[in-house]
Amino acid sequence: MAGSPFGAPTAAPAPDGQQLDLDGPEQWNETVKRKYVKEKKIGEGTYANVYRGHMRHDPSTLVAIKKIKHQDDYRDGMPPAAVREMKYLQELRHPNIIRLLDTFGTGVDTLNFVLEYLPLGDLEMLIRDVHRVRYGVADIKAWMGMLTRAVWFCHSNYVLHRDIKPNNLLIAADGEVKLADFGLAQSFADPGRRMTANVITRWYRPPELLFGARHYGGAVDVWSVAMVFAELIIRTPFLPGDSEFEQIALICKHIGTPTEENWPGVTQLRDYTVPSEVVPVWGKEAYMGRFGAVGADGVDLLVKTLALNPAKRITAHEMLQHRWWRADPKPTPKEDLPRKSGGEEKMGADLKRKNGLLDEENGTRGAKVARKLDFGQAK
Amino acid sequence: MSRKATAGPSALPELTSDDMCPVCKTIRYLNKDMEFLINPECYHSMCVNCVNRLFNDGPNQCPYAGCHRTLRRKGFRSAFFGDLAVEREVDIRRRVAAVFNQVEDDFETLRDYNDYLQMVEDLTFDLVNGSEAKRREAEATLQRWEAEHRADIERNRRAGREADEQSRRRLAAEREAARQRRVEALREAEEERRERERSREMELDSLAQGDAAAATGAQHQQRVQLKKRGQANRALEAATMTTTAAGTPAAADVGRLSIRGLKEKKKAPAASEGPYDPFGGMDFVPSRYKIRPGLTHPAIDKYRHDPAHITGGYSFDEYIDRVMFEAFAGLGVFIEDEKEAGIGLSAGEVATISAGIAAVGDKMELD
Repeated sequence: MAGSPFGAPTAAPAPDGQQLDLDGPEQWNETVKRKYVKEKKIGEGTYANVYRGHMRHDPSTLVAIKKIKHQDDYRDGMPPAAVREMKYLQELRHPNIIRLLDTFGTGVDTLNFVLEYLPLGDLEMLIRDVHRVRYGVADIKAWMGMLTRAVWFCHSNYVLHRDIKPNNLLIAADGEVKLADFGLAQSFADPGRRMTANVITRWYRPPELLFGARHYGGAVDVWSVAMVFAELIIRTPFLPGDSEFEQIALICKHIGTPTEENWPGVTQLRDYTVPSEVVPVWGKEAYMGRFGAVGADGVDLLVKTLALNPAKRITAHEMLQHRWWRADPKPTPKEDLPRKSGGEEKMGADLKRKNGLLDEENGTRGAKVARKLDFGQAK
Repeated sequence: MSRKATAGPSALPELTSDDMCPVCKTIRYLNKDMEFLINPECYHSMCVNCVNRLFNDGPNQCPYAGCHRTLRRKGFRSAFFGDLAVEREVDIRRRVAAVFNQVEDDFETLRDYNDYLQMVEDLTFDLVNGSEAKRREAEATLQRWEAEHRADIERNRRAGREADEQSRRRLAAEREAARQRRVEALREAEEERRERERSREMELDSLAQGDAAAATGAQHQQRVQLKKRGQANRALEAATMTTTAAGTPAAADVGRLSIRGLKEKKKAPAASEGPYDPFGGMDFVPSRYKIRPGLTHPAIDKYRHDPAHITGGYSFDEYIDRVMFEAFAGLGVFIEDEKEAGIGLSAGEVATISAGIAAVGDKMELD
């Protein structure tokens, strides 16, 4: 059974005698596996291969099948990223979160995720394609609305995503933005339980994580949302630091230096180091020049999400209550949003990227940065 | 389709020969300009002379033996098809199509539309090929439908006309755009040719003057010219791309007329929606309990003042929210009942159940 290719047209219920004595779970696994037909590979990465597939009974329903590769690092089980992704995606059902339709195993230790098929690339492609994709405030508002709703939904269900960035925001055929890649996701921790600070791609990482805080909450994702918001407006990463130190320096320069006055206790954090020159926290007016396109209300929302002190930062729920959503212009209907037919290669590329690397359990990997980014070709 | 099978009201005339009028027996040999006319009442053909002779003084009976239909001068026309059975069928189809003019968009499902088409076709068949009784029945159905759905028919007819008009305009616009492009291309080619000639002359002139440096200069100029051309092309490309990608309404490109119309159609229902709901119609306010500020528990109090928790942005409210949710998760869910009666318990029932469970919990704590 281990070698039987998935999706092979097995018309007879029992191709070999072995299947007759499958136990319950195995039987179920077979049933799920048979529901889908794998078509062709649309992406390959170190962590997973992504295939396009369709439902066996309805060939017009396309799916993406993410096949987790066997990894020698995790001899005794599944890679933690795969486990996280499965654990949280199975629970979360929301129009703005990628839908995990099924999981099944092939062979002894290979896991397959059946995900909804999102053919229109990701938000990063749209942001970077300055020459061919034009969008306006109404479009930004629509995208931000979908993103914020996704984050709010995660937080309402006590899940931290911990890796929000434009290329984890995939676009469905109808223009709906969907939050994907839950490989770094984690439940809200109990008090006293330490979490790793080494999560979230550096450019989108909030100051508390850069300073090594081990007890944090939903505010970390909100900072990432703010970074995506800023990036949507200026169409280039807002704070692209090359190292963690530079990232802190950029935050100090563009937002303000975290001090005891604006963030009590910050100097006591493990990795607290800031450039000697103290920059006062910029006011709303300072943002108007660069981000004024979204209007005064939009800038107000941005400034509130960019609060240095996570305790003062607006929550996803409060973000959705902000007056900006109700101000003019009205968000673009999703089907009229600008789009680019990125094709399935890009979807494959997005899904196959190595999922969350870091975790408290494997300290050896803790020294590395969360994820390598390659924006080189985009610049 | 044999002609015998398609016998109409009375047997359709056999147009034995194009050369003889079945009524007056005049032959083409005698009258070179002989022309045959038919009347859609009975499709009996006769020559123009006969028509004039018989019907100039008002309505009269068809001269064919056994055909007692009253015909008028006005109803006569020349047949488009040689085979009069075909002529008749086309007339009928035209008439039915004018009445049953729904389009696919008018139907909920494709299935409905196909059923409708089938019904129309059956009716048409009865009218064309059916027996006398069937024909009469179909005729009655047709007239009833026409009477009942007059407004719909009129609306569809207008819509159809508009669509036709639109596609006609689009085609015209496309043709015009293509013509413009051709003219432009021709003009450019001409200009380029002239430019090339001019630079060649310049080059020859400078060579004639024996100035080598100038010659290289001319060559350089040629290269510049080529470059310029490439740039122009690229600019053109970029322009077309932006118009297609961004779809800015400012571009006064006639070719895009139809695309804009399409979009407007799609937008129409969206505009009628209510105000934007940032929450997407969801709400996670707990319905079974209320969380008051200042809720506390000894187990978390020792962390409340821990700087590591405060500075890192750890939210105790989020924690309380979660434990409360977890404590109440699954309460009021009775799978057996739901299987029988479906989901939906009254709030009172839930309250009593949770109170009972809370009491049990206290007891356990005492132990």
